[in-house]
Amino acid sequence: MKKNVCRKIIGGLSLTSAMFVFQACYGTPQDFGLDLLVEGQVKAKASGLPIQGIKVSVAGNVQYEITDENGKFSFYTEMLEDLTLKFQDVDSTQNGLFHDKDTLLTERSDKIYLDITLDEK
Amino acid sequence: MIATLKKHAFKAYKKSAIRKHELNYLFWECTTKCNLNCLHCGSDCAKDSAFEDMPIEDFLKAVDTIQNIPKNFTVVFTGGEPLIRNDIEICGRELRKRGFKWSLVTNGHLYNKQRHISLLNAGIGALTISFDGLQESHNWLRNNTHSFTTVLKAIELATSSNRINFDVVTCVNQKNFAELEQIKQLLISKNVKAWRLFTIIPIGRAVNNPDLHITDAQFLALMEFIKINRKTKEIDIKFSCEGYVGRYELDVRDSNFFCRAGINIGSVLIDGSISACPNIDRAFSQGNIYTHNFYEIWHNKFQAFRNREWTKIGQCKSCKDYDDCQGNGFHNWHGEHTNVLVCHNEKIENAIKHQKR
Ligand code: SF4
Ligand code: SF4
Repeated sequence: MKKNVCRKIIGGLSLTSAMFVFQACYGTPQDFGLDLLVEGQVKAKASGLPIQGIKVSVAGNVQYEITDENGKFSFYTEMLEDLTLKFQDVDSTQNGLFHDKDTLLTERSDKIYLDITLDEK
Repeated sequence: MIATLKKHAFKAYKKSAIRKHELNYLFWECTTKCNLNCLHCGSDCAKDSAFEDMPIEDFLKAVDTIQNIPKNFTVVFTGGEPLIRNDIEICGRELRKRGFKWSLVTNGHLYNKQRHISLLNAGIGALTISFDGLQESHNWLRNNTHSFTTVLKAIELATSSNRINFDVVTCVNQKNFAELEQIKQLLISKNVKAWRLFTIIPIGRAVNNPDLHITDAQFLALMEFIKINRKTKEIDIKFSCEGYVGRYELDVRDSNFFCRAGINIGSVLIDGSISACPNIDRAFSQGNIYTHNFYEIWHNKFQAFRNREWTKIGQCKSCKDYDDCQGNGFHNWHGEHTNVLVCHNEKIENAIKHQKR
């Protein structure tokens, strides 16, 4: 413990207060960014069955994922003040026809789970 | 006075960091296959594509032996070209599940929009792309007529994401030396925020290619270029960690030279060898994940990395800067280990002496 305190003081003095901000010549910079894991499942409102092929995207961002056969999705995205997820039926009649939905994430946590229901058209 | 104090404090800090040898940065040489045939390749690591890619499970088993993992522990995927593997994202997600960060070094050729998205989805946090000059000089080094255009597209994609801590590395050589200012302007125009410059060590194919090496006078000019451009702050430019640069320490980097190989940096190499940076002589491997417990090796071995007294040999033996440099970057010791391959400080001092004549 004492040693640790000493190390911090010494680190600060030597102006390497961000002590481990380093990279090897052929390595990458370190990652000090913040993101969150968004996971969930998309189901049909009437039947309660999972929907495959729904595009889950982050508004204003290139990121998206398509729900799997269990209607599930899971991806990391940058932690932002306002984070809106878009759910879009992009595969036409395949897997049914559903209305799009936008969801504004209000909770701030490093892991969020969403149960989404979409209305059939 | 303050400078002396800082120097002493840094030495004390270094000692304590060595004693603690906290593993913060773990390279995984996940493949030695590559989609390019760069001229300098083989100088930095053994590109023996005869090796099969290591299965993710084998690597994760080694990672799972690590105890007391520091908060900012990062796994860096390297190669070969890591993006040749299509399961990088699976491994990335596994690492994130364990609470670790991960990043990737790439030549950019397979970094298209789809891959950019899938890497982001899998929780990538940092990325480095190699970019080695204007069209002609970049394509020359990369030995590929389309490389420049392809890599620029990859750079544009990388800079479009705020999530990724991204930088560009450039290998400074005879062909691009006169272009550094133009490369800088190009990178700025592509919204690149950080740029790292390095030079090539004379091993492998690089030994017999004079175009790959810069002269002492050019090295001095490179230090000046970085120094001046760090002041203007147009881009976060720095010299890589590759060596001690004497009077230019702190002018060309954020902190004093400290080769952290085997101190904070470890690696799992393609054949399971346990070492530090992949460009280090493979004779320094400390064990193998297939026969040893990775963390026990990290914790109990690595003596040659943590006590560099053995580098007091050849020209380092009687060097007045030894305490600050300690035999330069570990990757500068290949072959017989009887002398350091490159002394960056000597290059600088030689050039200055020449100028005065
Ligand atoms: S002679 Fe060795 S210890 Fe001295 S500056 Fe050069 S590389 Fe470093
Ligand atoms: S061995 Fe070389 S690349 Fe690795 S930390 Fe030391 S100087 Fe940097």
